Amino acid sequence: MPDSQPILEVLDLHVHFKMLAGVVRAVDGVNFTVERGRCLGIVGESGCGKSVTARSILRLLHSSQTSGQILYHPDGDDEPIDLVNLDPRGDAIRAIRGKDIAMIFQEPMTSLTPVYTIGEQIMESIRQHQDLSEEESQELAISMLNKVGIPDAERRFADYPHQMSGGMRQRVMIAIALCCEPRVLIADEPTTALDVTIQAQILRLIRSLQQDLDMSVIMITHDLSVIAQLADFVVVMYLGQMAEKAPVVELFQNPKHPYTQALLRSIVRPDTPPREQLHSISGSVPDPRNAPSGCRFRNRCPSVHDRCLEDPPVVEFGPQHTATCWLYVDE
Amino acid sequence: MPDTPILQVENLSKFFPVQRGLFRRTVGHVKAVNDVTFTVNKGECVGLVGESGCGKTTVARCLLRLVEPDQGRILLHGEQQTFDIASASRKEMLDVRRQMQIIFQDPFSSLDPRWRVTDVIAEPLIAQKIGRAEASRRVLDILPTVGLGAHFADRFPHELSGGERQRVSIARALVVSPPLVVADEPVSALDVSVRSQIINLLLDLQSQMNLTYVFIAHDLSIVKHISHRIAVMYLGRLVEFGTTQQVFEECKHPYTKALLASVLIPDPTHREQSYVLEGEVPSPLNPPSGCHFSTRCPFAQEQCSAEEPDLRDMGNGHLVRCHFAEDLDLSEGVFALPLATPSASA
Repeated sequence: MPDSQPILEVLDLHVHFKMLAGVVRAVDGVNFTVERGRCLGIVGESGCGKSVTARSILRLLHSSQTSGQILYHPDGDDEPIDLVNLDPRGDAIRAIRGKDIAMIFQEPMTSLTPVYTIGEQIMESIRQHQDLSEEESQELAISMLNKVGIPDAERRFADYPHQMSGGMRQRVMIAIALCCEPRVLIADEPTTALDVTIQAQILRLIRSLQQDLDMSVIMITHDLSVIAQLADFVVVMYLGQMAEKAPVVELFQNPKHPYTQALLRSIVRPDTPPREQLHSISGSVPDPRNAPSGCRFRNRCPSVHDRCLEDPPVVEFGPQHTATCWLYVDE
Repeated sequence: MPDTPILQVENLSKFFPVQRGLFRRTVGHVKAVNDVTFTVNKGECVGLVGESGCGKTTVARCLLRLVEPDQGRILLHGEQQTFDIASASRKEMLDVRRQMQIIFQDPFSSLDPRWRVTDVIAEPLIAQKIGRAEASRRVLDILPTVGLGAHFADRFPHELSGGERQRVSIARALVVSPPLVVADEPVSALDVSVRSQIINLLLDLQSQMNLTYVFIAHDLSIVKHISHRIAVMYLGRLVEFGTTQQVFEECKHPYTKALLASVLIPDPTHREQSYVLEGEVPSPLNPPSGCHFSTRCPFAQEQCSAEEPDLRDMGNGHLVRCHFAEDLDLSEGVFALPLATPSASA
């Protein structure tokens, strides 16, 4: 792609939840840009805020306090739309949700309703956004099922979700998400619940549909291998904050944040000597309600320093490579 | 290490009846485990891999008689005597469980939320008729072994993180000093940064306490890392068994090859792999005739759907269940299917 145009810009996003036990700062100052036709990976462990970030893009979090900007650039020279300002239950976001920006969820078992056939569930999405007759939308639904690789689509159209396997259900979810040809697809751990051979199928499907439809993808996962295989650009999150962001090859070859470095060292690679001790990060992810002040990684960080008690600065290493860490700032 | 068997599984089968209708008539059987035979030697780690529904967890549960096996023998060579777990009495099972313990997958649901850590870990000791005082002492002894401080003894599971809970599960299994531990997906519910801690702990404990593991997981890179020998299962059948080297580097079964090829490599400059196996695992209620893998196998011939292949020794204890194991060319070229590589500077 000659010139990269942003389709979605997330600027200084904060999502806080007020709870009895205090405020949970689930997302605290996240910035990234999704480019047209590219795949952005968001990687992190449980509680890092990756799913909350995704859901706040579609305004699916009603009880949260969201600040910052999420700018969606529709086709052409139209003014960008700031999704944060839209009413979560209003018509404006409903026109975008499912049409321009669609999402697939982690659990293919629970995100389809058991009382409607999969055909009806795909057609619901089509008829919400497109002015098509019953027959036309049925035709489109069947062609979508074919496109996502469901064999015998005309017959499976009338199946209920319980009649399908996990991999097939995830394909149905993808068909629902893609039937309105979205500009952006948000995939929240789409393969975590699936077997390895099915995971390979689904990831290849997402990759090829992304190329065919010139779609942008936000891939949210805890699995660095999925990131390595699919993403063009990566955001690493830890406890609601952005630890590092970089193009994928740069991130894997030249990680700067101690958390990214530790994560990359701790995974088992094909050439890891068998039965040797693996690198590991001490401790475990703290409860988001009592996240440490300053750098949130500091109580697990091997390079921790007094300065880490204060909020770390964003350090630039290249045009698109930044890490949020004190390590690279001279005293 | 001299190969002294500690566990011999012979022709193990477990069929679950499927009942339908008003009178709960049995209309068929799910052959969850079908004629599985393997041996575990003292001090080694045998990995058991396969996709969901292949029967690996059922094998684990049969080994401890948490489900009743239908056929076969499970011989456990204890320090003094040999038990056949498949036909042991309740009293014998008490002795068996002193020799063999299990670690479950999900540390969030395998610990009783109302029990303190000390009670959880002491339970196997109480079951073995060891007094309360002695049990508490042994709980305090085992906690540092799994990397937990003594102050954890009075905590409840909800106060612990996933990794800490899994350490408690490991302590509970090890407190009776069993020579053999079955670990059923012990790290798959854990965060990436904690996963390597637990694997390191399992490796440490194995060398310190001279443990033998049966390690079940679906993550092949972890199984490869920890196991000496690996058994691959598909639809209740053992399809390949051999050393880690034999199974990973010289695999002879097309299913094993496909499984290995679908492992994602954590390297963005290497996107050429991923042979994608078409289709899905058929229903174990009605598995394909002949070789169960024939419906998805890229090399399937007529013979494959007609006769079921036997598990044959390909030399040096490398067992493969395939008619054409000698002749297949499973080199990379056959399986490679390129994915687009990202441009170096995006």
